[in-house]
Formats: sequence, structure tokens, C-alpha cells
Amino acid sequence: MLLTKIILKIINPTTQEKISFKISGMTCSACAQNIEKVLLKDEGVSSASVNLPAEKATVSYDPTIVRPEELEGAIESIGYRVVKESITLDVGGMKCAACSQNVEKVLKKLKGVDSANANISTGKAYIEYNPSFVTVAEMKAAIDGIGYTASLPIDRKSTEDREKKERELEVKKQRNNLLISVAILIPVMLGNMKGMFPSLLGFVPVFFSDRNVLFLLTTIVLAFPGRQFFVGTYRGLKHGVTDMNLLIATGTGAAYLISVASSYLDLGPGYMHNYYDTAVMLITFIILGRYLEARAKGKTSESIKKLIGLQAKSARIVVDGKEKDIPVEDVQVGDIVSVRPGEKIAVDGVVIEGNSAVDESMITGESIPVEKNEKDIVIGSTINKSGTLKFRASGVGADTALARIIELVENAQSSKAPIQRIADVVAGHFILIVHILSLLSFFFWYFVGYEKFNAAFYSGIESPFLFSLLISITVLVISCPCAVGLATPAAIMVGTGKGAENGILIKGGEALERTLKIDTIVFDKTGTLTKGKPELTDIATTSKHSEEEVLAIAASAEKGSEHPLGEAIFMAAESRNIGIDKVDKFQSIAGHGIKASMDSGEILLGTRKLMDDNGIDISSVTKSMEEFENQGKTAMIVAKDNEVIGVVAVADTLKDKSKEAVEKLLDMDIEVVMLTGDNRRTANAIANSIGITKVLSEVLPEDKVSQIKMLQDEGRIVAMVGDGINDAPALTQADIGIAMGAGTDVAMESAQIVLIKNDLRDVLASIKLSRLTMRKIKQNLFWAFGYNSIGIPLAAGLLYPFVNKILISPELAAAFMAMSSISVTTNSLLMKKSKIK
Amino acid sequence: MSENENGDNKLGKYTVIASLVSSLALVGLFASLSVAVNSSRGAEVYSKVDIIAGMAFVFVLSMIVSASVWPTVIENKLKME
Repeated sequence: MLLTKIILKIINPTTQEKISFKISGMTCSACAQNIEKVLLKDEGVSSASVNLPAEKATVSYDPTIVRPEELEGAIESIGYRVVKESITLDVGGMKCAACSQNVEKVLKKLKGVDSANANISTGKAYIEYNPSFVTVAEMKAAIDGIGYTASLPIDRKSTEDREKKERELEVKKQRNNLLISVAILIPVMLGNMKGMFPSLLGFVPVFFSDRNVLFLLTTIVLAFPGRQFFVGTYRGLKHGVTDMNLLIATGTGAAYLISVASSYLDLGPGYMHNYYDTAVMLITFIILGRYLEARAKGKTSESIKKLIGLQAKSARIVVDGKEKDIPVEDVQVGDIVSVRPGEKIAVDGVVIEGNSAVDESMITGESIPVEKNEKDIVIGSTINKSGTLKFRASGVGADTALARIIELVENAQSSKAPIQRIADVVAGHFILIVHILSLLSFFFWYFVGYEKFNAAFYSGIESPFLFSLLISITVLVISCPCAVGLATPAAIMVGTGKGAENGILIKGGEALERTLKIDTIVFDKTGTLTKGKPELTDIATTSKHSEEEVLAIAASAEKGSEHPLGEAIFMAAESRNIGIDKVDKFQSIAGHGIKASMDSGEILLGTRKLMDDNGIDISSVTKSMEEFENQGKTAMIVAKDNEVIGVVAVADTLKDKSKEAVEKLLDMDIEVVMLTGDNRRTANAIANSIGITKVLSEVLPEDKVSQIKMLQDEGRIVAMVGDGINDAPALTQADIGIAMGAGTDVAMESAQIVLIKNDLRDVLASIKLSRLTMRKIKQNLFWAFGYNSIGIPLAAGLLYPFVNKILISPELAAAFMAMSSISVTTNSLLMKKSKIK
Repeated sequence: MSENENGDNKLGKYTVIASLVSSLALVGLFASLSVAVNSSRGAEVYSKVDIIAGMAFVFVLSMIVSASVWPTVIENKLKME
């Protein structure tokens, strides 16, 4: 064995190849050594060196003994990850599902390409690859090689402009083709029919029926408007790929050739008639379909165009006290940006001066303008309505909220839903299956059907070949792989786009599909169901004092406090315009409360223990205290000069719409669970007030994941709604993670659905949207498969023997086919009119 | 020439040969059946034009089908070798 290897090396010394892998997960030099060791264990690896700081492994190996995938597998088998690079290429010329399959196929054939996902709706291919094996240029060349065009997106705006131009060009091209075809179709049809109904069409000039004129006109249609089908077929066949151009080219080509032959050759009886009109009509109907489809396709991506269109073009920055207009691309983090009423806020930032109402509807979907004051965050591309604002830029370029939303929506629209796998499998073999069916139909009608069902008599076609050929052509042109290919991506594009317009970002087809199956929703309490900030909820007083008086004293004492409970009391007094007294001395007693001296006397504010320690009798407020505590509130006793004057209760209050959202979710037969670190009593009190019966209380942040797992182990499909950093692992563990808009970046990264607004009703809307989109996908797939499964057998003449010798003509088949893919796109577009809120 | 290119060339060559052979076989079957039907009936069911045009059409369709089927079969075979 060893000898053989040595001999092989001597004979073939050039078999050594070098490869690099980018690796993640290494923390120390031991990791690097582990990787080297595991690589060197592989037979065929002569050297392996891992560069820890560069996170890169370089391996010399013999490709005849070990494959690169095996090396990757070895690295991943010990817990590290081989990082793949990804790129999105703009692909032009994809017209049907077979085209996207061809692009994926040719890319996957390249060594180093791990996954390729081409989307005909967006005209993009998302590729994961190892740059050590394959370059972007090679991938582009491979796509160009099979007749499509591949290019790198320059930037969003210019890509958008280019896409728009290309789409307009395509619409214009197909419109011109359609006009030429229709203009020629009329004389060809009249000319052909004049031969059959001379008395009826006496007004038609005789030269219309002339074989030379018909030949010339049909040739023009095939050579100009129909050229695209033949060129597409040629390019594909040259590289061993087939698409729907081939179906059309075979069908129209056969009708044209037999017509030319019967016009100029003496083919004998049965070949008197020609089929020029069939060829022209086929081309006309299919071009009509392409024209309408090109127009409709543009509309499916309207939402992303709208988002891109929102971006501001210029910004006014303040430099040395002077305002200066600059392009938005030139704004740097830290720049002071000024924005006047009615103007667009250029980038993300934090207000440092002024106040105003800002219309954020374009990002959040919320129609009511949001009040902005100092320290508030402003979002780029929103509109400043009333006052002048100055803010410090905190997010520019690709780091703005809008840019991130656009990226997220674009990625979602390029993704595939698992349900699409069926469509992909069918679309991948569709052309082949249709040709086989066409061939079988031809054989059947030629050898059996024509004679058995007396087709010569009923159809008037005297040649068995011509009769079988027409049926075979009908099978080719009625089949529509486009509808199958468009069914899922068109619906996902419209669905995710509609979500983005309403402040709901769904990260892809898989999330959509999983959301449909949710039967349990777990809400993190703080910040999700509640506002996440304590507020004063109740004041109880003893008979001698008023609520105002108690609040004024409590707020005065808490004025200097930084404790959230104290802040809540102070804020409540401020909002009620209650006068605050000056505090002479302030002392915080950790875990118990505060002590303050004011002109009016000595104030104590805090727990029972604080009062006990100071010998104060609290019996007059015990009942109120217990009542508040049973409701999950934090009650604090207020005492003045060693006499209790009242109790103030503070709680993290529920968001306005929490109850409504929970009720509606329960109506949808979804079990709602509340997850919180609060004690059982507080948690139950809050849950009861909004109708939640299942409560997971006293859960430590690190235990949230295990709680979700437990629910999943019960066979539930769980969605988790949260907003904090400590929610991120639970969001990942859940079948669907939903991050609330005011949440952290980490939570948003971990979630599959991001709600930009902090409105719980959007959880409901996202479920409705997922259901709507999935319903559309299923309708589209049902239609596409149904159409083909019914259309093809009918075209093959299945009904002919049984129902009044019914046959579909090739022209009618082409019209059906054209309408099929348009109906799928239109059905998806109808989603735009549906209400999700 | 690299091993990959060599493999691609082989695949291409074998595909063309296999497609031609299978298509011609199907065309032969079509022609033989047509002639056989004509002879068995004693009358001409299929004219010469029917048979020749049919052969051409069958050839085109079967080339399309076989050019799609054979590459996968041959590729698998080559891999196994």
C-alpha cells in the first residue's frame, strides 16, 4: 500500500494541491493544534498549518486521495466551523423555474460552491462558497456560459436603478414584440381562414392566402419577436441545459417547418393545409404572457423599491456653528445634523437640541407622529413634522435602521420556503417530463388513436402524422413550468414586502412556514407584556390626608433618588403638576427605603421593616398594603414625623394593547404563556389581569431556554416573544423567535421575526401575515400543479375518445399557458389588498 | 488538461453517442412499426411523407429527452468507476 503510494507520487508528482479554510470557533492555540492534528490524520494530507489570529487553516493535500469536503468535515467534526463566504449576484435573463434551476445547477457544479439559490422573481443568485476553490469571476463566467448574465450589484440605489431600467426595457421589448406579432397575426389568420371559408371571408384580399406571403409573414414573426425562444434554446442546449424556451421552440418550430414543407413540396394527400397561423398565434400568445408577466413581476418587488426610495439624498450638518448641505453618503458618525420642519431625517441619531413630532410611519407603520425631545433616538428617512431638531449621527450608511431593514427584507425575499422543495423537484424535471409525454402522445395518436377514433373523419386532418404532431405540439405549449417556479417566490416577495410596510420583518420563507404551525406563544413579561418601567399605580391614604398631599410628600422625598421606584413616584407627581418641596437631608436605606428631612417634617418612605425599625404603627394601612401586594404591586408606606399618612403602590404596568393581543391570540386557539423572573404571586396577578392562565414564574434568565425546551418536549410548536439580551438564547431555542422593536440588536439577530414597533398586536399581525402568505403559496402551488396536471392530459387528447371528440388546439393551449403564470403572480399581488391588522 | 476537463470531455462525448444511439433506435422503431403496419394492412395507412416527417420529429424529441437523461446516468457510471 505504502509502496503503491510512493510509486504514484513518483509517477505523478503534481497531484499536491493547497487549500485554505477560514475557521471560526478557535479560542486558543490548543484549538489550532487540534485542527492541525485532525487534518493530518486524513490520508492524503501532507501538511496542515493553522493561523490562529487569521483564523485560517492552510492544507496541502492530494486530491486523488482526499476531497476538500472531507477536510471540511474533519474540521467540523471536532466542533469548529468552516466559514463560507457568500455573495449575491444579479442574474439577468431568467424567465422560468427551469432557468433558476439551470443557474443553480451550473453553480453547484463548480468546485467550492456550497450552496446556490437563484430566485427568478428577484433576478438574484445567493451563493455560499469557499474562495480558495472558486472565484466570483468563475461563478459569473459559469452563469454567462449558459446564456444568462451575471453581475455584481454595485450598490443598492444603482442596482435598483439598473433593475428598474432592465425591467422597463424588458416590458418595452415584449410590448414591441407583441405589437409586431399581433399586426402580423391578423393577415396570417385571415389568409389561412380564407381558404377554409371563402364565402365568409370574401372581403379578405386574395394575396393574404398566397403561400409566399404567409411564409414571409410567419418567418418575420419567428425571426424577430420569436427569435428569443430559439436563441434561448440554442444557448441552453449548447451547455446541456433546457428551459421553457425549448418547449416553445419545439412547438412553434414543428408547426412552421411542416407548413413550409407543405407549401413548397408536394407532400401528397393530407398535406394541403398549412399551420402558419398556429405558429404565429403560439408566438403571439406566449409573448403576451411574457409582457404581462414582466409588468406584474415588477409589482411584486415594489415594497423593497419603496424602502430604498425612502433614503434621504442629502443632509445638513453643522460645522463650526454653520450649516452645510452634503450628500448623505458623506455623513460621519458623530456629525451634528440639523433638520427643519417638513424635511427628511438623513441618518439615525440622538437628539441633542430641539423638539418635534416625527412621522415614523414609513419605518414602523405607526401613523401617529412620535414626539422627539433631547436624548431621544431619531431614525433616518423618517420625516420631521413640526420643530427644528439637531441630532448627533449614530448610524450612517449600511448601519442605519433602514439599511438593515432593506438588507433583512432582501435576504428574506431571496430565501426559499421548505414547501418550495416540491416545486423545485418538479421544475427541475419538468421540461424532460413534458417532452416524454409529448413523444408518448405522438406515438399513441400516430399508431393507435388516429385510426381507432376515426380522427381523419372528425378532425378533417387526413394525415396521421399531422394529427399526432398537432397533439404533440399542444402538449409542449400548454405545459407551464413558470407557474410552478413562481408560485412560492412571488408570494414570499409580496408577503415579506407587505410585512416590511407594516413594521413586521420576517426573515425568510422558513420562518413564514414555521409561524403557521405555532400552537404556543411564550411572552417574556418585562418589556414585552409590560412597559418595562415602573409607574405609580395607586395611592391609599389615612383619613387625615389627601392623595395629593401623600404624593407630594413622597415625591419630594424621592426627588434625589435614582432608584426606579423613586423615579416612578417623582414622575407621577410631576405629571400631575404637584408642587415638590425642597429636601434638606436625604438618606437611602438599602433594601428598605429612604429617609428625608424637609421643612414640613421628617419623612420615611419604604417597607414595613423600615417602619418597624422606627417604631411606627402601620395598622391603619395594612389592609391596603396587602391588597396592592396581592395585585403584584410594590407598596411603600409613607410616614411623616413618625405617623403613617398613606401608602403608594408602584408596578411595572401592562402595555395598553397587551390584553387585546392576548385575547385575540387565545381566540386563534394559541396557548399563551407568560415567562417571568417575578415571584409567583406577582406573576399570577399580572397574568390574571390579561387572561393568561399558564405562567412560568421565578425563572432565572439562564433558565428561559430550558423552559422553552420543556414546552417543546410536550410536542408544542413554540414562539417566544422577547426584547432583552437575556431573551436571545430563548428566541433562538424557540421554533419562532419574535423580537420586539424596542429590543436589543442581539435579540433581533436571534429572532426570525422582528417587530419594529413596540406593539404586541403586531405579533398577531405577523401570524396573520404568515398564514396569509402560506395560504397564497399553497393556492399558487395548487393552481400551478392543478393547471399542468389537468392541462397536459387534456392537451394529449384524453377527452377526445370520450367527450365529443374534444381537442385543445395549440393556439388555445398557448393562451392557457400564458394566463397560467400571470394568474399565479396576480394571486400573489392580491395579498397587498388583504388586511393583517 | 486537468482531470476535471478530461472528465467533462468524456461525459460530453459519451452523452452525444448515447443520445444519438438511443434516438436512432427510437426512430428505427418508429419507422419499422410504420412499415409493419402498412404491410400488415395491405393498404397504405402511413404515406412516405408521414413516415419521414414522423422520423424527423421523433428524432428531435428523443434527442431532447435523451440529452437530458444520459448525462446523469453516465456521470453516475463514471463516478462509480
